Formats: sequence, structure tokens, C-alpha cells
Amino acid sequence: MQNDILSILNESEGLNAKVFSLVRLKLLASLAALGPDGATYRELKAALDINDGVLFANLNVLKDMGYLTSEKITSEGKELELYIITTEGQDEWKRIRIWLCRFLHCGA
Amino acid sequence: MEKRKKAIAFFKELGFEFDIARFDDRLIAQKLVCLLELRGIDLGYSCSLYVRGPYSPDLTQDLYAHTHEFENLETGTRLNTAEKEAADELGRIFGLKPVPLEVGATYGYYSIRQECDPLEASRQVKRLKPFYSEAQIALGISKAKEFLYKPTRRDLEDLKKETGIWQRATLKTLEH
Repeated sequence: MQNDILSILNESEGLNAKVFSLVRLKLLASLAALGPDGATYRELKAALDINDGVLFANLNVLKDMGYLTSEKITSEGKELELYIITTEGQDEWKRIRIWLCRFLHCGA
Repeated sequence: MEKRKKAIAFFKELGFEFDIARFDDRLIAQKLVCLLELRGIDLGYSCSLYVRGPYSPDLTQDLYAHTHEFENLETGTRLNTAEKEAADELGRIFGLKPVPLEVGATYGYYSIRQECDPLEASRQVKRLKPFYSEAQIALGISKAKEFLYKPTRRDLEDLKKETGIWQRATLKTLEH
């Protein structure tokens, strides 16, 4: 594998450019760590400090891309929305992480 | 011996009937393990901070990979006296309730792992769990303190000094 900056930049063509927003990266990174357990909307909102409009819109974009699923769950008698990363989401996050590591190691 | 066997032994001792399909059960499992780790019991599931508070992805992996064992409490591991005592206290203080367990584990993590003072630890709990009421947070924190901190001889002496005056006054009143 080549390590020159041009090769590394060109490798990014294999990635989904629509994921490259800070909010979407934060969401994918957070949910990838939790696997099938997922996180509720209110947990994501509080921990990542993202306002409702931005959070809801970005979760829906990731869902539309097939990277997340959501389901209604009940916790302590309250109905909540749970977001779970899909296999496709995990794979995309893995590709992004590998690419980011290569990109940063090359001193760009 | 697989590390999950010890976690299952704790669940058994606590009478925790785990069901993977229930969100609250998965939450309870995570927070029980984190609280025991914070108390110094090595279950092999290290907890770090995630969007869901203190959490062990390794435990999640085992819960899903060995669901049958967790749900049927299959274990050959027996807890020693100290571990049984910790399990009894955990059950008595928290009672397998998700909210106090979640608040308590989060407070304990900030307080012990991140060495925050009590005020800062409480502030962090409120920031990460703003959807819980002040009363729920206060209760969870008080339970965490009871479970995680044993009073030292010095603490007990200080308490005796502080309350001694009131005790003597009460006794004097009773004499009249």
C-alpha cells in the first residue's frame, strides 16, 4: 500500500462522502461502540450536546443510507426511540476509521 | 474460566432474571457490572464512558454471543465471601432498579475513575442524564455513596463528635 498523500487522498473515493459531517461522524462513532444494544434519542442528545432539529435530521439521513435502524422501546414505563447501528453502518465506520488513521499518519 | 461465568454468578446471587429482549435488563446488566468493577471487584469487563454513561462493549458482546447462558444463569463459578457481601449490598441498596443503577454508576465513574470531587461528579451526572429529575439523581448518588464508600474509623469518630452533643441533649431531656 502506498503512503504518499495523493494515494491516500484518492483512496477516499471508496468512502461515502455524505457521512463526512461532524454530527454524522459523532453519531456513527457513538453507536458503533454500542453494537446491537444501541442508544436512545435522549441519551444521544444529552451526551453529544446536539439540538433536536440537527439530531433528528442527521439520524434520519443515516437511517435512509441504511447505516442505522430505530425501534420503539419501553424503559421504566416510558416509550423511547432506540437507535442501532446496522452491519452496513459498522462496515462504513470501519472504512472511515482506517482511512482517517492513514490520512493522519501521513502528516497531512 | 470465561469471565462471563463470574458475571452470571453475580446475576444469580442478585436474583436477576436477565432477558436480552428487554432494554431495561440490558441496562441493569451493564450498570451492575460497572458498579461492581468500581467497587474493586474484577469481572474482566472494564467500563469506560460512552453516550450511555459507563459501559462495557465487551459485556454487550458476551450478552449477545452467550444469551442462553445469561438468561438461564448457567455458571459453575461460586462467589467468595467478599463477593457475596458486595452482591448482597448491591441488591439491598439498588434493588435492580434501572434509574438509580444508571445514576449511581455514572456518579461512581466520575467520582472514582475520573477523580472528580463530589460537586463536579454530580454536575457531570446532571449533564449526561438531564432527563432524570433532581430527586432521581439525588437518590442515585446517595445509593452510589452508600455502596462505593465505606466510612473510615476517622469518619465514624468525626460523626460521633458531630452528633454526640445532640445525643447527650436527648438523654438529658429524657432524664427530666
